[in-house]
Formats: sequence, structure tokens, C-alpha cells
Amino acid sequence: MPERSRDDHRRGPRRPASERADQPYSGVSAHFRSRSGNLGAVGTRILTVEDDERIRTAVKLALEDEGWDVIETATGEEALDAFEAEPADVVLIDIMLPGIDGFEVCRSIRKAGDVPIVMVTARADTHDVVAGLEAGADDYMTKPFAPKELSARIRALLRRSRTGDARVSQYHFGDLEILPDEGRVTLAGEEVHLTKTEFRLLVELAGNPGKVFSREVLLDRVWGYGYFGDGRLVDVHVRRLRTKIEADPANPRHVITVRGLGYKIVP
Amino acid sequence: MPGRRLLHAVTGGGRLGLRARITLAFALGSLLLSALMAGSTFGVAREQLIRQRESAAVRTFLTNAGNVSAQTRTNDPSDIVAPELLSALGSPETSRPVFFFQGDWFSSVSGFGEDAVPESVRDRVEAGETVNMRYSYRGEPNLAIGVPLPDSDAAYFEIISLAELSDTLRSLGIILAGAALVTTAAGAGLGYSASRRALTPLSDVSEAAHSIAGGRLDTRLEAADDPDLAPLTASFNEMAAALEERIQRDARFASDVSHELRSPLMTLSASMEVLKTRRESLDERAQSAFDLLDADVTRFQNLVDDLLEISRFDSGSHFLDPDLVEATEVVLHAVGSWSEPVPVSYDEAAAEALIYADKRRIERIIANLLDNARLYGKGATGVTVEADDTRVRIIVEDEGPGVPADQRLLIFERFSRGAEAGRRSGDRGVGLGLALVAEHVALHEGAVWVENRPDGRPGARFVVELPREPT
Repeated sequence: MPERSRDDHRRGPRRPASERADQPYSGVSAHFRSRSGNLGAVGTRILTVEDDERIRTAVKLALEDEGWDVIETATGEEALDAFEAEPADVVLIDIMLPGIDGFEVCRSIRKAGDVPIVMVTARADTHDVVAGLEAGADDYMTKPFAPKELSARIRALLRRSRTGDARVSQYHFGDLEILPDEGRVTLAGEEVHLTKTEFRLLVELAGNPGKVFSREVLLDRVWGYGYFGDGRLVDVHVRRLRTKIEADPANPRHVITVRGLGYKIVP
Repeated sequence: MPGRRLLHAVTGGGRLGLRARITLAFALGSLLLSALMAGSTFGVAREQLIRQRESAAVRTFLTNAGNVSAQTRTNDPSDIVAPELLSALGSPETSRPVFFFQGDWFSSVSGFGEDAVPESVRDRVEAGETVNMRYSYRGEPNLAIGVPLPDSDAAYFEIISLAELSDTLRSLGIILAGAALVTTAAGAGLGYSASRRALTPLSDVSEAAHSIAGGRLDTRLEAADDPDLAPLTASFNEMAAALEERIQRDARFASDVSHELRSPLMTLSASMEVLKTRRESLDERAQSAFDLLDADVTRFQNLVDDLLEISRFDSGSHFLDPDLVEATEVVLHAVGSWSEPVPVSYDEAAAEALIYADKRRIERIIANLLDNARLYGKGATGVTVEADDTRVRIIVEDEGPGVPADQRLLIFERFSRGAEAGRRSGDRGVGLGLALVAEHVALHEGAVWVENRPDGRPGARFVVELPREPT
């Protein structure tokens, strides 16, 4: 467990992205407004955490070819130090690390902010995948992967704007208040910190209260995945959402599961 | 042993089971014993009864003979009226007196005269002997007793009917024979139940072995109290445990090796990508070498993926992530992601059919079937979706050489590549595609098989059947 607290500079209510000029994301939010296909290429920094030297080097070479700016680290400690010194735009973490394991690194970085995190797992087993997602990852890739595919996923993650296509400026569900334009969520007046992915998921559901969204539809709308995306991504993110916005996550009142069909938000 | 040879012959060369043989042995044994007992009982009883009858008859005979003799001796021959003499005897009905007096034969019962007395008895009595002899007259058993009366030149005979005795004996014989049969049947029954009880442990063992063969490697026999059966149980359980451990070790091995391969493959994959963008800057030779590398790295990756997938099934760490989906929708998406266009057809009924399935596994099923058609069937010609009330069928057809009937189960086994097995396959797979299809299908509680094309053309028709969900 790292001694320093990642929360130090996160006290107080979150300010909308546009105001946080000093935050590392500003560079990225500028990209959001541009619709260029080469989104996230030049200048976008990927922090990779991988202990196998050859893999680390090969992946760096391949990603740099794609135009990313790669900061490579070999251990969890190195990664956290590097992230603190100069936060990256995207983080790629291998689960199997000596010392601090990948889940720990993920949790720490997630506490610090909203940066898109992709876990790299050797197994597609539910345990590892779910553990990674619950630790705060937005997505996962199994080794061996094609760096091109990783690039595509990262681009999709970065494209994910906080605001989405909300038609309304405010949503109210009991004590839950969603402000899509500002990218904020409050629960009984208290600010709730959601990742971009979690926020987008909530906004999608909120846009059609009472409508059941299948996992497939949500995968498409929030992650940009086609028909055969991994439904577990949705499952775990809903779980994460519930821990943040539900009074009793085990008995959700806002975001509920419709067995066999998907999820919906209660109007 | 002569008995065994006889048994062997009777039972047609040992095709009977152990139980039947034990029952037969018991039956034959009790047949033998009861026949022996019945026979000897009958023999002894018969002898006794006959002797008793005879001695009674002889006693009566002697009394009568004495009577006759006295009369013939004391009286003047001309005064003797033989018939009167005979009737005065008061012999019981069953003993018929015959009197030879002064050259004539007299009898008191019609039909039982001179001819009734056997010639040998007549001759011997004439010679001066006292005779008794059993013989048959008019189909009936009789006892002829004769005594000469030399003083009067006469002879006295009695023909004593043994019919009653004979009847008695016959009844006894029947009863004993019946008893012997019943005993034999009882013996057979005893043998049957004894063999059943003895063989019950064997059927337990057989069931346990069957269960293990079916994949439930943790099957064990319950410890037996019986000291005779305990060694069997113990050694069986030992064998099962050893087998289970060996199989698990093998499964882990395949899984562990495949996992270890992921890391070098990651490096290969990333490096290949880097090289690919610079392929044009390589000379021709290097480009050829690169292309070979590219193809085989891909193949290697697919192999490792397949191996890992199958080892997940083996170790039981697979999981089903199902959704309620439209069958036709899944099929269209899956076929759509395939590298070549393949026509998909379905009727209105099938269009509405829903299945509760893991989309990604269905996609793997279809992809593997299409790949199989490409490798062995000259490419898939079409995919059809059919549905009835309870089932949905996904059919992949090709116009290749088809699958011969004797290989239709074999092709779903691991590493089977049909006629190609053993040959370096080049672009072909390693034979796990259909095995994986079978596993995915089994996970959905469906079935998969291959048949001939219905239109009679050469080619294979793979059918995947899944349970249909009510709307």
C-alpha cells in the first residue's frame, strides 16, 4: 500500500472539466471537441506498466508507431511515481506485477482521477476481469493482443465525453440529481465522484427512464463495442455505479436489473 | 471336470453369464441330489412294500394250501368237488386260487385258470418245487405262488393281484418325482438369489466405473464392511484417485504451458506489427521470410487460444454469460464478422425464435463451423436458421466431400483432422475447432451433429440444436 494518499489534491467538489485548466485532462478535453479521426494520437501520453522487458519494449515500439507517446514502467511503484510526476492521458496496467499488484496500482490511480485505465490480463477468467474492473479499470485486454486493437480501444475510451448526448440539462430520481452538461452527479446534495465511463452509463440509462437497456446496447452506446462485446463490462460498471449512488447497493432503488434482459433506471 | 464340459456344451460354449451359470449349477446340483434321494427312497419303499405284500400273500397262501392239502389227503379223491373246495377257501378277492387236481384245472375266478399260471411255475411245481414268482398277466402285475400236493397228485396255486400295490407305488413315484422337481426349482431359485447377492457388489463397481468413464472422476465406492469385498473397494478407489490425479495434472499441464506461451506471443504479436508497417523497406527475401513469420505467428496464436479455451472446459473454470437473444440476430452478426460472405436464410417462424445463450460462444460456434467448412468442405455454402416449438437449429452446409458415416462422431474429438491427420497442415487447424464447438454447445444444453445434405449433393450439413425460449 503506498503511503501517500492519492486523495490529497482531490478534496472539495469536482469542478467541471472546462474549468480545470490546471488538470492534466484539459489537453484531452480539447480533443473532444475536435472530430478528427486521428484522435488521441500525437501528444497523448500512455503510461504502461509491464514487468516483462521484452513485452514492454515491443508494445512501446508498436504504440509509438501508432503515434502515442509512451511512458514505460516496470513495477507498480515506478508507475505510481511516474503518474504523480506527470499524469498520463491513458494508463495500461498488467495485472501480474511483482511488488504492488496491478489491482492496487489501478485503485490508486483511479482514486486520483478519471483517467481511462485499461487492464491487461493473461486470463479472460471472470475473476481477474471482474477484479480489474472493480478496481477501477474502464476496460480490459487479454494477452496476447494486437497493439492496433488496443489503440482503437484507447481512442474509443478517450472519445468518451463526459457530457454525452443528453437532451435535458437535469435529471432527478428521488435524491439523485444528474447534471449532464456539467458532468456532475449529486446524491442528497453531496457530490458523487464517477468516472467518465460510469457517468456515461448513468446518463444513457437516465435518458430513458423505465426503458430496459440490454447489455449489448449499453456496450455499444457507452463503450462503442459491437454486438459481441463483453457483457461483464456493463455488469461490473453497474455494480460500481450502485456502490456510489445507491443507499443500499445490494437492494438498488435507482438502477435495477431486469433478469435476462438488461438494466433500467427507475423513473 | 466332466460336469464343466457338460455345462459348457449345454450352455452353448459359455455365452451365458455368471449369474445364469451359477443358477444352472445350483439347479443341476439339486436335480441330481433330489433325483438321487427320490430314486433311493422309491427303491427302498418299493422293496419294502413288495416284500410285505409278498409275505402276507404267502402266509395266506400257505394257510389255504394247507387247507386244500388236508382236504385232498383225507378225503377220497372221488368225493372231492374241486370248485366247492375252492369256494370254501374264502380267499380274498385279490388272490385267485387255481387248483390242479387229477389232471384238471379248476379256478374260482373266471379268466384265471391254467393259462393264468405262468408255464415256468407250472413246470417247477410239477417238478416238486414250491415257487413264488412275480409276473405280468393281462397287463397287470401279479404274484403267482404254487405248491405241489404230491400225495394227491395235485397242485395249488394262487394268483395274487399286485395291482393295488402297483398303484400305490406309482403314486409314490409320482409324488417323489414331483418333490424332486420342486426341489430342483427351489435349488435354481436359491442359486439365482445367491448369485444376485454375490454379484451386487460387482454391479456397484461397474456403475462406479461407468461414472468415472463418463467424466465424474471423483466417483468412489463406499467402504465395505465385508472382509471379502474390502480389498476390491479399496483397490478400486485407489485406482480412481490415481486416475483423477493423473488427468488433472495433464489438464493443468496443457493449461499452464499455454499460459506460459502467452507472454512470448505478446512480444511476437507486437513486434510483428512494428515490422509489418516497415515491410516495404525490406528486401524481397526478408519480405518472404516476414510473410511466413506472420502467417505462422497468427496460426500459433490461434492454436494457443484454442488450447486455452479447451483447457478451461477441462478444468471447469469456464462460465456461461447468457442473454435472451434472437437466434437469427446472433447468427447474422456472427456470419457478418466472417471473412467471406456466406448467405444466411431463415423463415418467419425462425425470425422470432429466442434463445438464452452466451452470444460470444454462439459466435465461436458459428465461426468454428465456418472455418471447418473452409478447411475441409471447400467453404460454407450457406447458413440456415430453423425453429419449431421447442428448439432452434442453426445449420451450416458446404459442398465439399462430406463426412463419411463412420467418422461422424470422431470429428468432434480433439485433434482429429480426418484424413489429414499426421500431415503437416499448413493453413489448416489442429483439430480443436469442432471439439470446441461440441463443448460450447454442451454448455448450452444443446446438441450438434453432422449429416448428409438433404438435396443429395455431396457435402456436409452441420446442425446445432439449442433449446428455444418461450417469447
